[in-house]
Amino acid sequence: MLDMTPPKISTIADRSTGRARYTSDLVPAGTTLVGIARSPHAHANVLSIDTSKAMALPGVLDVLTPEDFSGVALGHHIADEPILTDRVRYVGEGVAAVAAVDEAAMIAGIAALDIEYEVLPHAIRVDDALALDRPIHDNFPDNVARRFAAEPGDWDAEVKRVTHWAEGTFETAAVPHAYLEPRACLVRVDGNELELVSGTHAPSMLADQYNKIAAVWGATVEVTTPDMGGSFGAKWEHPTHLVCLSFAHRLQRDVAMVLPRRDDMIAGRTRIAMRIFMRIGATADGELVAKQTKVWADNGAYSLHGPSVLLAASVRVDNLYKFSAVKAEGQLIYTNNIPSECFRGFGIPQSAFAQEQLVDELARKLDLDPVEMRRRNAVGEGDTSVHGWEVTSCGLEDCLDMVRDRIQSHRNDSGLVSDGRFKIGYGLAAVIHCVSNSGHDEATDISNIIISVDPDGTICVASGEVELGAGTAEVLQRTVERELDIKRGQFRFVLGHTSTGPFGRGSFASRTSFFMAHAAIAGCKIFSENCSKLVDDLGLETNASIAEIAKLAAQKGHAESLKATAQFIPENVVAADDHGYGNIASAYTFAVHGACVKVDTLTGKTMIQQYWAAHDTGTVVNYQGAVGQVIGGVIQGIGMALSETTAVAENGQLLNPGYLDDRVPTFPGMPNVDVHFAATFDKNGPMGAKTIGEPPVIPVVGCIANAIYDAVEERQYTLPMTPEQVWNSLNTKVQ
Amino acid sequence: MTVVNTIRVNGVDHEIPANWQAKRLLDYLRTELKLVGVKEGCGEGDCGACTVLVDGEPMCSCLLLSGVVGGREVTTIEGLPREYLDKFSSACETHGGVQCGFCTGGVAVMSSWMKNGGTETGVEPVSKLLEGNICRCGGYQQLTNAIADIN
Repeated sequence: MLDMTPPKISTIADRSTGRARYTSDLVPAGTTLVGIARSPHAHANVLSIDTSKAMALPGVLDVLTPEDFSGVALGHHIADEPILTDRVRYVGEGVAAVAAVDEAAMIAGIAALDIEYEVLPHAIRVDDALALDRPIHDNFPDNVARRFAAEPGDWDAEVKRVTHWAEGTFETAAVPHAYLEPRACLVRVDGNELELVSGTHAPSMLADQYNKIAAVWGATVEVTTPDMGGSFGAKWEHPTHLVCLSFAHRLQRDVAMVLPRRDDMIAGRTRIAMRIFMRIGATADGELVAKQTKVWADNGAYSLHGPSVLLAASVRVDNLYKFSAVKAEGQLIYTNNIPSECFRGFGIPQSAFAQEQLVDELARKLDLDPVEMRRRNAVGEGDTSVHGWEVTSCGLEDCLDMVRDRIQSHRNDSGLVSDGRFKIGYGLAAVIHCVSNSGHDEATDISNIIISVDPDGTICVASGEVELGAGTAEVLQRTVERELDIKRGQFRFVLGHTSTGPFGRGSFASRTSFFMAHAAIAGCKIFSENCSKLVDDLGLETNASIAEIAKLAAQKGHAESLKATAQFIPENVVAADDHGYGNIASAYTFAVHGACVKVDTLTGKTMIQQYWAAHDTGTVVNYQGAVGQVIGGVIQGIGMALSETTAVAENGQLLNPGYLDDRVPTFPGMPNVDVHFAATFDKNGPMGAKTIGEPPVIPVVGCIANAIYDAVEERQYTLPMTPEQVWNSLNTKVQ
Repeated sequence: MTVVNTIRVNGVDHEIPANWQAKRLLDYLRTELKLVGVKEGCGEGDCGACTVLVDGEPMCSCLLLSGVVGGREVTTIEGLPREYLDKFSSACETHGGVQCGFCTGGVAVMSSWMKNGGTETGVEPVSKLLEGNICRCGGYQQLTNAIADIN
């Protein structure tokens, strides 16, 4: 029997003093190590793999090849990603795996594998993929994994009212998630019991997937999530998990894999790079009437969450403004790039980059203040948006006011003015975002809680959700403290542990706190009622505390009768239809960002002088955590805006698999981010709260682009807006 | 040439086994001494998560071979004075300096060096001194405020 004690949930004190334990910290010395043989080719058939030399090496215990995973594939929408592949679709894809007694033997084993490839024509750009004369996946002959189209409203009638159009074609980059903790997993085994220890967004969903696969081996899988060093949308199902599970089961040894940074990035995931054509039409008095969007999304080699991201990128930002008609279409195109994936913001920062610049352009054309332009057109409380979102609370007006006022003060007081070489500019951008997305997976968009009493009388609160480092644990603690009127230390809690915790959908779509807190409130209510019922039997006063009751109940053998289970399923929420229409969330959240930039016209470099972020997130439950999420989102947005990208050689090889060449933001040059929260309360939210996870990253790229325009009067169509990019926009004008 | 193969780590002397001499200090600390508060974020000296003090100076333990630090004194986050860690931790709590926590140990070590008067002039901006520490959760502002608040 495996010891399935859940890991301790670390506190801020643990994480700031080196006491938190991440996956790689839990790997005992001498654990069998797993490594992957990666393809040097972007597109190739694997003709043969000779494992004999590797297997004969001292220290090599086992080798897995594609045959061992025949018929097994991963994918949220399209099961297209093999575990080990005999048809390589990107440089760095796993072809075979070696388990060995130590790192040296593992590396020697990989080197000794004799793999014969037949190289195929490849495509690393979506245009090349659409023109490629052979498919990257045989069952998708045109290399289009998914098409999406939506056309709400009477387009032909509405466009007749349009007097002014703004349009452009925008290109965004495949930014790596670049979480600081590289992918790692540890598999513990005892007979047919397997425990996968690995940081992930969705332990319950992983266990569900992997159990189906492991059932064929006669094994069962539980997933344990220890402390997690960031993910931002990357750490879901992954082929390396199944390689390790299989080795552990075959060898009956615990195995581990900790990827070096380079491997993590080569065989990782990235934000989905997109080309977006967009045009927005307005009337002369500033009513936004019609909007057309065309998205070409680079799926990379495998689909992952790509189809949902395509939908989100094609239509979600439309919901912010009261467009009368929308025409959207999108294609998700297979290429021989690293599989692209959802990344904080779920495709929406990409389309917000286009939309918020075009709205800014229309305001300028119509000589309207950009704040007034947005105020006039934005949806508000009680509105149903063009794609069916029903807005139950809206703090956008407050957010607009806050950013407008602070920009005005800064203009007056900062003393910053443009001179010959350095130009100062101000910009702003707005966002609407959903709390979860039941359209993605209606059946499992639920959250459970179990409140029980340990033999020693400690109250145990187990949620199926997970702590990514974003403050989930703090929200759960505060909710339970408030609802049960107990103190920290009087209860313990469990997150992300499938063997002792309940099912949870996991951390995505900015849903965790909302769903988990709702379930916790319901669970606490039942637990309190159970406590009240027991007071007399225990011989306690009616005003006895919950902690006292739990303690005595445990001593007298009544712990089981206190146990409470509860579930949250959102009401009045539907799955979006095939065209993205429907009220997909219980609540919607808003934000407005503002930036002041200084652009060096000699070098093209953009320096952010000050940044403002005003968010309508409903009741703020964990203020420090919420501020952290906002500032962190802004900083990630600044990376996406100014410096981060993947550089890919013509042969498909990633040229910048590390922090030296993938320029993530660092301490120097980061602006002060001034954070505000609108005073809103959503009737559907737990304690009136909405969400904060993704929205902070969404408006940043558009906001900074608008500020750059304000400074130098050139639109920015390509991300990242590096010095070269901005310089080119200033110096390649058609004369 | 005499090879010095002892190092003092967090105040305790250790003999570096021959098979560890040519391996990274990071691995020696994590694997052999089980000081797993030292993290590997990149293995290339870019992220600063593995920062330790060598004779009081901050260094990336992923860029040092264990044999190279023979005769020196190494301090990891586990070896920082309890009192300092408490201050750092409470400043992080107040200012929201910790999210996922993977970078935080390296930042704590850097900040203790700064607070101990290790820097050249003592007045360099925190952001300049911490340019070698990456926080992907984007907590730079909060960490800067937290460190400024430690006396």
